[in-house]
Amino acid sequence: MSNAYTILLVEDDRSIVNFIRAALTNAGYRVLVARSGGEAGLMITSYRPDLILLDLGLPDMDGLDIIRQIRQKSQTPVIVVSARSREQEKVEALDLGADDYVTKPFGTEELLARVRTAIRHVVSRTTELEVARDGRFTTGALTVDFRKRRVYVEGEDAGLTKNEYNLVALLARYAGRVLTYDYLLKCIWGDESRGNNQILRVNMANIRRKIEKDPADPVYIFTEIGVGYRMADGTGDVPEKSAGISG
Amino acid sequence: MDKFRQGLADLTKTLALMGAAFMVCLALRRYNTGTYASMIFILAVFLTARYTNGYLWGIGASCLGVLAVNYVFTYPYFAFNFTLTGYPVAVLCMLVVSVATSALTTQNKRQEAARIIAEKEKTRSNLLRAISHDLRTPLTGILGTATLLEEPGEMPEAVRRQLAREIREDAGWLIRMVENLLTITRIDGDAAAGIAKTAEPAEEVLASAAAKHRKRYETPEVRLRVPQELLMVPMDPVLIEQVITNLLENAAVHARGATRIELRLFREGDTAVVEVEDDGCGLSPAQLHNVFSGFAQNRYAEDADKRRGMGIGLSVCYTIIRAHGGSFSARNVPEGGAVFRFSLPLGEEETNSRA
Repeated sequence: MSNAYTILLVEDDRSIVNFIRAALTNAGYRVLVARSGGEAGLMITSYRPDLILLDLGLPDMDGLDIIRQIRQKSQTPVIVVSARSREQEKVEALDLGADDYVTKPFGTEELLARVRTAIRHVVSRTTELEVARDGRFTTGALTVDFRKRRVYVEGEDAGLTKNEYNLVALLARYAGRVLTYDYLLKCIWGDESRGNNQILRVNMANIRRKIEKDPADPVYIFTEIGVGYRMADGTGDVPEKSAGISG
Repeated sequence: MDKFRQGLADLTKTLALMGAAFMVCLALRRYNTGTYASMIFILAVFLTARYTNGYLWGIGASCLGVLAVNYVFTYPYFAFNFTLTGYPVAVLCMLVVSVATSALTTQNKRQEAARIIAEKEKTRSNLLRAISHDLRTPLTGILGTATLLEEPGEMPEAVRRQLAREIREDAGWLIRMVENLLTITRIDGDAAAGIAKTAEPAEEVLASAAAKHRKRYETPEVRLRVPQELLMVPMDPVLIEQVITNLLENAAVHARGATRIELRLFREGDTAVVEVEDDGCGLSPAQLHNVFSGFAQNRYAEDADKRRGMGIGLSVCYTIIRAHGGSFSARNVPEGGAVFRFSLPLGEEETNSRA
C-alpha cells in the first residue's frame, strides 16, 4: 500500500467518483478525492499526489484556473476529464500544461491506460532523458534514431525530410501524449506559424504515407480530432528502462 | 457589419443600374431625341427596387432618374427645366413604380423568411419527437433491469451478468444518442452560417471515426480506402466524425448479414465524397424514400416499435451535411447491401496534392 501511486481525483459528482475510485483502487492505486477546486488545492499541498485526475466542470472554480495554479507550484501530471465536443477546452488545458485528457463518457480501460501512461512518464521523468541516453524510440516496427536523425520502419529508412523527422521525433519524445496543433507548429516552424494548420497537416499526411503501412489506418501516429496528434506508446520501454538503470 | 456590407452592395447595384440606364440613353440619343429616356429610366428604377433591400434605394433611384431625364435627355439639354409639361407625371410614375416594386419585393422576402423559420421549427419538433421516443425505450429497459437486480433472492451468475450487460448496452446507446443531440446544438440556428469550418484532412477524420467504431463493434470488419491525394476539406471535423460514426454504426446494427463495411473517400469534381458501403440486407423502398425526404416524416410509422431505428442518427447526419452545404444520399448496390454517401464542397485552394 505504501508504495502504491497516489492519485488525486478532483470531481464533484458522487456516482462518477464512486466508479472511478473503484476502478483505480482495483488497479492498485491509492485514491484521494477532492470535491471542489479549493479542496483540491489543499490536498495537493498536503498529500503530494503522483497524479491528478481533474474534472474541468467544478462547482467553485474554472478547471483551467486550477491547472494554472497547479502548474505554478508543481509538475505533477494532470489528466483532464472533459466532455466531448469541447475541443477548445481540451486544447487550452493541454496548452496550460495538462498532460493528457480523457473524454466523457469514457470506459475504465481507457482511463487506466491514460493513467498508466502518465505515471510512466513521471517515473522515468519524461522519456526525454531515456531517449537522450538510448538515442532511440521504438513502437511496433517503427524506430526513431535521435542520433542519426532518421526514422526506420522495419529496419528501412523511411526517407523523411528534415521537418518531417522533427515532427516525428517530437511526437516520439512525448509518446502516448497528445500534442496540440499549435504546440507542434510552434516547435517545428516557429512562433509565426501559429494557426497555420495547413503546413502541419500536409506534412503529417506525407509522413503517414512514408511510415504507415496503410496511411488511412494509422498505427503509429493518431489524430485527436480538433486537438492534435498522438504517437503510439513506445514498445521498447522495457529494454530502454533496464539500459537506463544499468548505464 | 453585415448591414454595412449589404448597404454597400445595394448602393453598388443602384449606381450600376442607373449608370447603365444613363449609358443606354446616351447611346440612343445619337439616333433619337431622347423619347425613350423616361422609359429606360423607369425600367432601371424598377430593377433597382426589385434587387435591393428596403424602399430607400428604389426611391433614391427614381429621384436620380427624374433628375437625369430632366437634365440630360430633355430639352434644354444639360440644364434643369422644371416647367416642362408632364414633369410631375414623370416624377410620380417613377416614385410609384419604385415604391410598389419595393413593397412587393420586401413582402416576398418576409414570406420567404417566415417559410424558412416554419420549416426549421418543423424539423426541430420532428427531431424532438423522434428523440423522446428513441430515448424512452432504452431507459425503460435500464429501469426494469435495475429493479430486477435490486430484488432480494439468489440469481444465477449468468443471468446477473446478462442483465448487467443489457444495462451497459442500453446506457452506451443512450450516451451516443446524447452525443448526437449535443452535436445538433453545435449547429447553431442558421445552417451554413452556424458551423465553424476549418480545412481538415478528410482522411484523418475517417481514420479516427473508424478507430473509435472498431472499439465498439468488432464485426463486421471495417475497411478504409482513401486516395493518394491529400484532400483538405472545409468542415467542422467533430461534426463530420459524428456523421461517419453514425453511418458506420448504422451499417453495423441494421445491415443484417453484413460481413464487411467499406469506408471510402474520393474526389469527385470539386467535392470530396465519403461512402459507407455494406454487404448486408440493403434498404427497403420505404427506407430509401425516407433518406431522400430528409427523414422528416413517417419515420416511425414504419418501424415504430423497432428499437434503435435508424431515426436520430441519420437525421443528424442529414442535418450536419446540409449545414456544410453538402449532399446526402443512399442507394442499394445490385449485389446486395446499402451505400450511404455524402459529399462536401472542397472550395478553392483547400486542396493540396501530395508534395
